[in-house]
Amino acid sequence: MAALSEEVLLVVKRVRQRKQDGTLYLMAERIAWGPEGKDRFTVSHLYADIRCQKISPDGKAKIQLQLVLHTGESTTFHFANDSSALKDREATKELLQQLLPKFKKKANKELEEKNRMLQEDPVLFQLYKDLVVSQVISAEEFWANRLSMLSVEGSVGNNKQDVGISAAFLADIRPQTDGCNGLRYNLTADIIESIFRTYPAVKQKYAENVPHNLTEKEFWTRFFQSHYFHRDRINTGMQDIFSECAKQDEKGLKSMVVQGVKNPMVDLLSLEDKSLDEGYGSKVAPSTSNSKPTVKENSNSAIIKRFNHHSSMVLAAGLKKGDGANDQASETSSTDGNSRDSDFFQPPIKKVKLQEAIEYEDLQSGSGPRMVALNLKKSDRYAHGPVPLQSHQYSTTQDIITAVNCIQHEMAGYKPCLTQVMSSNAVSSAIAALSPGGVLMQTSTQQTMNQLVPSDVQGELKQLYTAAGELLRHFWTCFPVNTPFLEEKVVKMRSNLERFQMAKLRPFQEKIQRQYLSTNITGHLEDMLQAAYNKFHAWQTRRMMRKT
Amino acid sequence: MASEDEVSLLVIVLDVNPIWWGQQTQRQPEFTLSKCLDAVMVMGNSHLIMTRTNKLAIIASTCQESHFLFPSKHWSAGDGTGDDSVSAGGDGKYELLSVANDFMAEEIRALVARMEVKDQADTLLAGALAKALCYIHRLSKQLAAGQDMTSRILVIKAAEDCALQYMNFMNVIFAAQKQGVLIDACVLDSDSGLLQQACDITGGLYLKIPQRVALTQYLLWVFLPDSEERAQLVLPPSVHVDYRAACFCHRNLIEIGYVCSVCLSIFCNFSPICTTCETAFKIPLPLLKAKKKKVKPVT
Repeated sequence: MAALSEEVLLVVKRVRQRKQDGTLYLMAERIAWGPEGKDRFTVSHLYADIRCQKISPDGKAKIQLQLVLHTGESTTFHFANDSSALKDREATKELLQQLLPKFKKKANKELEEKNRMLQEDPVLFQLYKDLVVSQVISAEEFWANRLSMLSVEGSVGNNKQDVGISAAFLADIRPQTDGCNGLRYNLTADIIESIFRTYPAVKQKYAENVPHNLTEKEFWTRFFQSHYFHRDRINTGMQDIFSECAKQDEKGLKSMVVQGVKNPMVDLLSLEDKSLDEGYGSKVAPSTSNSKPTVKENSNSAIIKRFNHHSSMVLAAGLKKGDGANDQASETSSTDGNSRDSDFFQPPIKKVKLQEAIEYEDLQSGSGPRMVALNLKKSDRYAHGPVPLQSHQYSTTQDIITAVNCIQHEMAGYKPCLTQVMSSNAVSSAIAALSPGGVLMQTSTQQTMNQLVPSDVQGELKQLYTAAGELLRHFWTCFPVNTPFLEEKVVKMRSNLERFQMAKLRPFQEKIQRQYLSTNITGHLEDMLQAAYNKFHAWQTRRMMRKT
Repeated sequence: MASEDEVSLLVIVLDVNPIWWGQQTQRQPEFTLSKCLDAVMVMGNSHLIMTRTNKLAIIASTCQESHFLFPSKHWSAGDGTGDDSVSAGGDGKYELLSVANDFMAEEIRALVARMEVKDQADTLLAGALAKALCYIHRLSKQLAAGQDMTSRILVIKAAEDCALQYMNFMNVIFAAQKQGVLIDACVLDSDSGLLQQACDITGGLYLKIPQRVALTQYLLWVFLPDSEERAQLVLPPSVHVDYRAACFCHRNLIEIGYVCSVCLSIFCNFSPICTTCETAFKIPLPLLKAKKKKVKPVT
């Protein structure tokens, strides 16, 4: 029974599907079709499942709409209403066009993530191919563990950093001469955004005037024409929508100066712009209050003020909105008119900063964690090497005495006789032993496993190990089996292991047998699988016994 | 063309354990200490005549001491006048060699003559190796500017390993590795695990000789070339070294064991108290499930 609580967006009568007449309903989250006369829907697809829609070409007699799902299936609807078939189809198509993109992103995102993961990690991809494509385990099991990784990565990716504002964004808008005494300014969306973020007053004006009074183009033309933008911001009293902005900016600048800097170690007021004139500062500088500020000085100070204001606005806009608001609030609260309050706050902050600057943690004689002294009773054990405690050839004292005497007797009359050091027989047998193939050279003919087995076989073996490892990991994490879910999983994993052995391991073994490789390189894999089977068997018998 | 700048030093450490050699003389009279010394002399001479700048040292190691057979205290290479007591062999031999041989013979005779009968039956091999390293170190400091010295130690081992010298041995081996000194081993009787490790760690050659009579041939074939030349030659391959540790209780070589986390002593069986540092340990037993009570049907 169709859920009546769903919001129905469009109903189209006389739509045939598979040669049956019926009605097509487009709801908020799905599209459904029910045959004529019946109440229930035979076809229902969520928008999220639909990959795309197709329509039959205009010239054709049949007016059709086809929905292709992600899984590859497709459903075709034939609009059979004689009078309004085309209109119906267009209406349906447009509605779907609006709805599908909304749901598309959610479904695709997961698939995209999975694809991305598979592409980035070749080992994972190989594992996927080995296990899922050859149907050893199903795709859901494969992704069950890894979806946790998916979500983590997704959240990391979402926290994108906001792009900051370039300090030179206004200067980057290089005007190009238009040929006849005009200037072209190229404004991109980025620049517009930067302007809005830096000068909230301009944003306000924009919101007020566009699109009611001015078009966007006119607004920006006026903006660039206004003296607000240009260097010399002399208020000529013109009816300029931007003259208010200039006044607002002045106010903003003044409030910023009043706020000052939070850092108690920095004292901006003591900085003065004095240069050492004649007399190296000994002469008293003429007081500046008497002299009138010249026009040039005025415009200079205006430019400097503008620069300062611009930089401070760029910085302020660069702060995160949340932090910015908090900072503003705390700053204003601490440096609010109440001077007592601000004085009260200043010393602790300053003190903390001074403390931090003076003290180093590691230089302080802190009492570390209590240690227990090592108490060795038989430390001579360490000095004994890995020589088994066999009984040496026990020589009696008599033997020793005899041996020493013998040696001493022999060496008493020792004269080197270097011309008769050895016999030629001995030498030739020694040479034979040392030549390749001789007694002493035997081990060098043994090649390592590395050299005997061809590299593609080695690669396959590595893949087998990865796949087997993955399956065995799933199997062994099921123990101890506490919940019914784990019980099912254990049984399933055992069948998976068997399937793996049949599908992957046996063919590999046969292949290497055909290549006459006598070394047993799959022995260890078989041992691991056998251990898993034994464990499963033991667990199963125990379970049987407990049940009976 | 040998350049003046490359000096190659060979130090031969000879194991002169009187008990082993005395028994050897009785077992196999064809190969006695004299023969062994002859072989060593041939090896030394060969090394000296390979290149003019080659240097040689021979240390004999007994149960009581380790003594330099060559160069001895009376030896001074630049001594032109020479002692009258030392005479050239008269057979036209290169004088350096004949004088060296005479010195060696004299020293070994004196050494054997002053041997005493003692309880200790183990060769002081670690001490001899340490002396060799010190000698190498001294000579490396005496090099002229611009000269390079490569050195190696050849150990000719007769008696068995002494377990008590293990620590000293390992220290010597690591010191040699740091200094870049190769340790080669020529073993006459039974395989020595310590020397196998030494050769493996420092990059030298280990060889157990099947025929003691042909010792000279083995020495010249395998141990005479220095490390650069060895790369070009086909020599006996390296043996597989057994690096297994021995458990502290039985001194069996084990592959898997229990290690005390406090004192790092190795045991083959679990014991609740480590006997070295007396720390108590517990192994957590697997948790037993509470048995479900069976409800008997009331009839």
